[in-house]
Amino acid sequence: MTVAALPQTNFFQIKKGIFSWLFTLDHKRIGLMYLYSVGLFFLVAAGLGVAMRLELLNPGRDIMSPQTYNQVFTLHGVIMIFLFIIPSIPAVFGNFFLPLMLGTDDVAFPKINLLSYWLYVLGALFALSTLMYGSGPADTGWTFYAPYSVKTGTNVTMAVLAAFILGFSSILTGLNFIVTIHRLRTPGMGFNQMPLFAWSLYATSWIQLLATPVIGITLLMIVAERVFGIGLFDPAIGGDPILYQHLFWIYSHPAVYIMALPAMGIVSEIIPTFAQRTIFGYKAIAYSSMAIAFVGYFVWGHHMFTSGMSGPAAIIFSILTFFVAIPTAIKVFNWVATLYKGSINIQVPLLFALAFIFNFMIGGLTGLVLGAVAADIHVHDTYFVVGHFHYVMFGGAGFAFFGALHYWFPKIWGRMYNMRMANIAFTILFIGFNMLYFPMLILGLEGMPRRYYDYLPEFHTLNVVSTVGSWVLATGLLLMIGNLIAGYLKGKAASANPWNGITLEWQTSSPPPLHNFDKMPELTKGGPYNFPNAKSTHKK
Amino acid sequence: MTKTDLTMNHAFVLPNSGHKFDAKASKMGMWLFLYTELLLFGGLFIVYMAYRYLNQNAFLLASFELNVWMGTINTIVLLTSSLTIAMSITALQKGDTRLSIILAFSTILAALVFLVIKYFEWGAKFEHGLFPGMDHYNSLPYGERLYFYLYFFMTGLHALHVIVGGIFIGVVIRLIRKGRINKNRISLLENSGLYWHLVDVIWIYLFPLFYLIH
Amino acid sequence: MKNKENITSENHEQEHVSSYSELFGTWAALIILTGMTVFISISGANLRTLTIATALLIASVKALVVGFYFMHLKFETRLYRIMIIIVMALFTFFLIMVILDYLTR
Ligand code: HEM
Ligand SMILES: [Cu+2]
Repeated sequence: MTVAALPQTNFFQIKKGIFSWLFTLDHKRIGLMYLYSVGLFFLVAAGLGVAMRLELLNPGRDIMSPQTYNQVFTLHGVIMIFLFIIPSIPAVFGNFFLPLMLGTDDVAFPKINLLSYWLYVLGALFALSTLMYGSGPADTGWTFYAPYSVKTGTNVTMAVLAAFILGFSSILTGLNFIVTIHRLRTPGMGFNQMPLFAWSLYATSWIQLLATPVIGITLLMIVAERVFGIGLFDPAIGGDPILYQHLFWIYSHPAVYIMALPAMGIVSEIIPTFAQRTIFGYKAIAYSSMAIAFVGYFVWGHHMFTSGMSGPAAIIFSILTFFVAIPTAIKVFNWVATLYKGSINIQVPLLFALAFIFNFMIGGLTGLVLGAVAADIHVHDTYFVVGHFHYVMFGGAGFAFFGALHYWFPKIWGRMYNMRMANIAFTILFIGFNMLYFPMLILGLEGMPRRYYDYLPEFHTLNVVSTVGSWVLATGLLLMIGNLIAGYLKGKAASANPWNGITLEWQTSSPPPLHNFDKMPELTKGGPYNFPNAKSTHKK
Repeated sequence: MTKTDLTMNHAFVLPNSGHKFDAKASKMGMWLFLYTELLLFGGLFIVYMAYRYLNQNAFLLASFELNVWMGTINTIVLLTSSLTIAMSITALQKGDTRLSIILAFSTILAALVFLVIKYFEWGAKFEHGLFPGMDHYNSLPYGERLYFYLYFFMTGLHALHVIVGGIFIGVVIRLIRKGRINKNRISLLENSGLYWHLVDVIWIYLFPLFYLIH
Repeated sequence: MKNKENITSENHEQEHVSSYSELFGTWAALIILTGMTVFISISGANLRTLTIATALLIASVKALVVGFYFMHLKFETRLYRIMIIIVMALFTFFLIMVILDYLTR
């Protein structure tokens, strides 16, 4: 503690030792702890995914029993959703960069931030403990649909409690960000001068805050039903399973926007930086985040068209679902318009952002197919759905996460990765991804149902393509991660602002000092994306 | 590492530092947390409404098992405790620490009274075998079982909140004694008050739902 | 969702000190409302749906009184009132859509 913080003492150096990390109140360190945890779980669940694809290489049993397959896809889904994608961008990059972008030195409640991380760890331990005892991890699918989740002998209670705790952690992160954005913006930065990533986190946080409690209580009811044997959702003893689905999706549809909105925020940061150009339609992008968050609350019924919900309700939910397409399309048009006539500097982060747009468009458009009652009845619970949500969650949110990693890598560690290698890894990843999931869309249209370890022989060819795609994708992932680790260990030193970005995080040194700024950060005049030497063809 | 030495060993501190105490941030955080509580009970409320609609007669019959008077007394107790904690805040704002502590303490007392009455109410249901899993309960038609299940779940969760709120206020009293909460730094007392009022608001809905709708 | 005005007004706000009599009046109003709702319930035991509506209505009035006076919503900046309205509107929508499903099944 004797080090008087010289400008060149960064937050890594100021204190050393494992405890200085585990009990840190520094948002940057908490963000990095999230990064390591989230990354670890991503690798575990990706391994499970590749194992599933291996099972599906040929019809019939290859490497696992039907029951094991059920448990594997459940574990894969639970880890990917609750331990990877929901905390990914907000808890990692939100934690690290929100205070930097707002020009402050921490979130509003640093201690609650740490608590939120520890709840995440506790939830993860609960989830993993299901592997250790009894008849193993849940086999219900990540949706825990009643009444099966009430009856199965696998460790559903523990898995559900894990989701409950992780939800609490997510709520605390959201709460922290909302207050941070309201209270800690640097003097002179109004809501409309905030970077778009901050806007997207603001919208996301409101979803985390208001939707998560609903699933929390629903999961508690599942626990109570399992423990006391009450027929709350079991039709055999008076309950209504469709009510469970309502409550579950009241949270879980908005949860899709907990994944997508921060990803869109990342893209809105990367694109202006690499086009060296003011973002087109700042307000449209900012407010459409709020609009997506808002409309996202009203569409949950599109997951229940075939479950016995009433016809009129299905039609209303279907119509409402189409409305989400509007703000989403607004964003896409604005991104493309920003690129138009920009001085585009094609670097890996931009490639990831473009891949996001490509993949997310496929995910979004297939989403419209699923949102239309008539079409959904045909493809519900087929591989079309599996393809669709991987395009949204992995091709969209996952790619944006990797893009953010490449974009902010030099800021976080003060080093640069090998660009050539990053390009190669990206290309393999992108090809592998589409090879893995595009066949699934076709398989679904042809009628291959999801959540089975087996399939009819006529689906063989496309399943082989998909499985080979999973190997290509895995290669790309390993190359990317290896390249980043190599960059971290022995990459060239990076300057404070290697991409020539103009949001506030680029004004401080790389890595940033403990308190982020050694002097007052200066707001860019004329909005957060007003690039000084850009050919200014448009002003908002 | 405490907040102070984090800021102390650095020459430059941002005016909008997250490590500075900010009463408004603290209040806003509390309100946001209350929203999550509202939606937590809201989920149960939706379940109640759906099942009430599906089992109207059963819910009606079952509701006659509850004792309206005990419910009414408990409502009055909670409302009064809300009054005392609100007055406790006013007292501290006016600088009267002693009165503030006494009033906050009466809120905890009221919480205890509430819990004791609840205990007797639940005890009576147990004697009648109405707790989920007991014999009488299992012999009831499904609709009535749902009613009692929801009754125990919702009032139980509420009682849990009463306990947490009571502990929160207890901690606050200690901090007032130590001077850590005072006229100029009143946020924590206000927040415990907000939490307590929320517990009251939830009861305001639970009371008619279970006791009054005949 | 929010406009500039109430965002800036976050920063200059006076802490309201409720007087004892104001709080006492609030409490008295709440007790009277409680008496009313109990009375309606006991005397009109066969009104059924009407009692649901009145009971919830009175409960909501009580909740508003607690919110506005005990919880100081009345004296806070507009932001807090807007937020709680959005939260409650959202919840009401959840409730309506779920019940609508049951009503039209
Ligand atoms: C290595 C990459 C991945 C592979 C090979 C993979 C593969 C699969 C497979 C084969 C299924 C099961 C399909 C079925 O039988 O119904 C599945 C389900 C699922 N995957 Fe992935 N996946 C990968 C990455 C991801 C990512 C990044 C996410 C989320 C961010 C994700 C989320 C899910 C979810 C939620 C399910 C549904 C589980 C359920 O049915 O309950 N996956 N995945
Ligand atoms: Cu959805």
